Amino acid sequence: MNRRALLGIVGAFLLLTAVLRVWVAVNDRAYRAPVYSTQVQPVPREQGIADQQKAAEAKAKAKKYEAPTYRQFPFVGSRVAIWVVAELHLMFAAFVLAVPMFAFIIEVIGYATGDKRYDRLAFEFTKLLSTSFSFTASFGGFLTFMLIALYPAFTNYLMEVFSPTFLPYVLLFFAEAGCLYSYYYGWGKFHPLVHLALGLAINVVGTLIMFIANAWASFMMTPQGISDSGALVDLYAAFDNFTWMPINIHRFIGNIAFGGSVAAAYAAWKFLHAETDEQRAHYDWMGYVGNFVAISAFLPLPFAGYYLAAEIYAYNQALGIMMMGGAFSWLFIIQAVLIGNLFLAANYYLWLGMGRVEGVQAYQKYVKYLLAAIAVCFAVWATPHSLIATTAEIRAMGGTLHPMLGYLGVMSAKNTAVNVLILTTYVSFLFYRRTGKRPTVSWAKLGNLVQFLIFAASTAIVIFYGIYGYFVEAAVRIAFSVPQVLSVLVAMVLMTVIDIFLMRGAHATGETHWGKIPAVSQYVLIFIAVTFTWLMGLMGYVRSGLRQHWHVYGVLVDSSPDAFTPTLGFAANVVSVCVILFFALIAFVFWLASLHDKRDWGTTQSDEPAHGGHAPKRVSAGS
Amino acid sequence: MRSPVGVNVVLVVAGATLFYTYVGQLVPQKELQPPPKVEITQEMTPVQLAKVGDELARGKGMCLTCHTVGHSGGPLRYPDLAGVAERAKTRVAGLDQLHYFAQSVCQPDAFVVAGFAPGMPAIHRPPIGLSDEELHAVVAWLQSQGGQATITLKEKLPYCGGPG
Repeated sequence: MNRRALLGIVGAFLLLTAVLRVWVAVNDRAYRAPVYSTQVQPVPREQGIADQQKAAEAKAKAKKYEAPTYRQFPFVGSRVAIWVVAELHLMFAAFVLAVPMFAFIIEVIGYATGDKRYDRLAFEFTKLLSTSFSFTASFGGFLTFMLIALYPAFTNYLMEVFSPTFLPYVLLFFAEAGCLYSYYYGWGKFHPLVHLALGLAINVVGTLIMFIANAWASFMMTPQGISDSGALVDLYAAFDNFTWMPINIHRFIGNIAFGGSVAAAYAAWKFLHAETDEQRAHYDWMGYVGNFVAISAFLPLPFAGYYLAAEIYAYNQALGIMMMGGAFSWLFIIQAVLIGNLFLAANYYLWLGMGRVEGVQAYQKYVKYLLAAIAVCFAVWATPHSLIATTAEIRAMGGTLHPMLGYLGVMSAKNTAVNVLILTTYVSFLFYRRTGKRPTVSWAKLGNLVQFLIFAASTAIVIFYGIYGYFVEAAVRIAFSVPQVLSVLVAMVLMTVIDIFLMRGAHATGETHWGKIPAVSQYVLIFIAVTFTWLMGLMGYVRSGLRQHWHVYGVLVDSSPDAFTPTLGFAANVVSVCVILFFALIAFVFWLASLHDKRDWGTTQSDEPAHGGHAPKRVSAGS
Repeated sequence: MRSPVGVNVVLVVAGATLFYTYVGQLVPQKELQPPPKVEITQEMTPVQLAKVGDELARGKGMCLTCHTVGHSGGPLRYPDLAGVAERAKTRVAGLDQLHYFAQSVCQPDAFVVAGFAPGMPAIHRPPIGLSDEELHAVVAWLQSQGGQATITLKEKLPYCGGPG
């Protein structure tokens, strides 16, 4: 018991002492310095971060340089990106190369005849050039950067082969800029002959630029002048490869057709917005000239195409067969639809144009026959060799060839159709040219008869070889296109020469009323421009796509994810995107060109100063 | 009421473009892939090689782009290959079947069948550029056209870079 009491007393004492101690500690306000540990404690997270940074720096320093072969363009991929930019560059380049050609020729006519209307017309065409030239250069730079960024190895290879041509190219580009802007801003400021010399210089320099760029593009398709491993052996041979000259000729003519059609579309746009009869007359005339240039260049274009195709076959049979009979053969059915539409539209425009001339009735009765011939030829040309059919249909036909239509899908029929189309369009033009005139020369009847006989003979030759082609071997049949083409060319030249002399001093039976043409004709001109542009995009695709999985055919293989050749439907989509973008940009060019004729800000019609060279404020009609 | 000119022009441009886009979708749609890598091993029998050769003739080798096998009717562009195994034995004096095939694929202009124009590329060079193993497979396939494939990878192909 005593023991318990003693423990209780000791416990109470300890408890009291503890309470007192806590009481003192709580109420103690005296400052005491903290006690720091002298030992550094490791912090795992910070150390880890530091280690990571060190490792990253070491890795970055040790990284070896590796030249990339490809880079990817976001969303659409590198190929489509390059495709669109290259196509837009080509379209603007074609326009910029073509317009000075006919502007120069029209200016020469104006100088030679002293007729100021031609001079004004040439200036009107030239107004479209300055902005287009800037677009061409901008897209060219864009394309170069895209090639370097997205296809560095391929671009490097082309540089290895063609670097000696780069400096001349750049210097020529500077010369082109100098000539073009002097030509435009110097209109009416220089002696006419000096100005004409500038016009000639633009065309010579521009053509040389195109020739150099064509060497790069054609080398990719038909390379030569290199060793088996692709090393350059002969720069001249690499430059003057199999398809270089055919492409030069094809682009030269094609550019004129394309440029003429776009310039005609500009005139159509202005015609539709014209407020006075004078303006309508002027832009009707301008549209007619632009379309005349386009169709005149378009008629010999298929012959340049034959030459290009022949050289592709000569370089590599398999390449030629792949183009005409392989994966790309259906592309030529699309091409037939486009060219058929061009012929139809061009003829329709000519027939509508006859309406502006008094005394048109003499020729209008023939239009229905011309239309029938064009429709038949169009149908033949667009007939595919083998048909897309269901299994039951194929069984019923006994194959993919239709028992009757199958005969129309072969080269003999198509060559015949296109040559007759060309002859028919030429006759439409001849009728248009003669509308409202009556020859006065004594040999008029004989001249007409000879012209008719030439036309009939040419048609007979074309049809004869077309039918004969069904009974001979392929090698012989291919050669038949030469006499067909020659007969058409010779006929057109002879008939033109006869017509010039026949209509010399012709009696005018009626006046030409420029501007008196239905508005639908102007939409036809715009339709022709769209069709030319689409055709250009499509044929650009076949030229480039023919290489398939090669950057440079047989030399540099494409190992990128885009190495496959896309479907024609996909190609059609990309071409359409290019066409829409081109027309959006060319509309901007048209708008800028139109600003030239607008009044200055804050001025009225009465106090408007005459500025902007001798650009016409109000223009008279052409003749 | 007449619609504004600007709208009409846009309609013409867009309408024509859409029409041509549609025409582009109407034709057969085929995507061409780069030739696939073909597996050829040393142990392959002539029959197995001929099977690979068939694949090559239709694809990477591009043989059937120009040639036919069992052509019926119409003029030929290049010789038909049906039964070529028999013809090859006697086609050129002094060349047996193997030598004839090897010469035909690697030096195609050395002998051109009467009635046809030269134009075949050497298929061991770019752009076709078949490897030695692939050439063996193509020759095995040619041997199988009206005959029996006998070649193996152990045999050297003359005229194709190797010793004749």
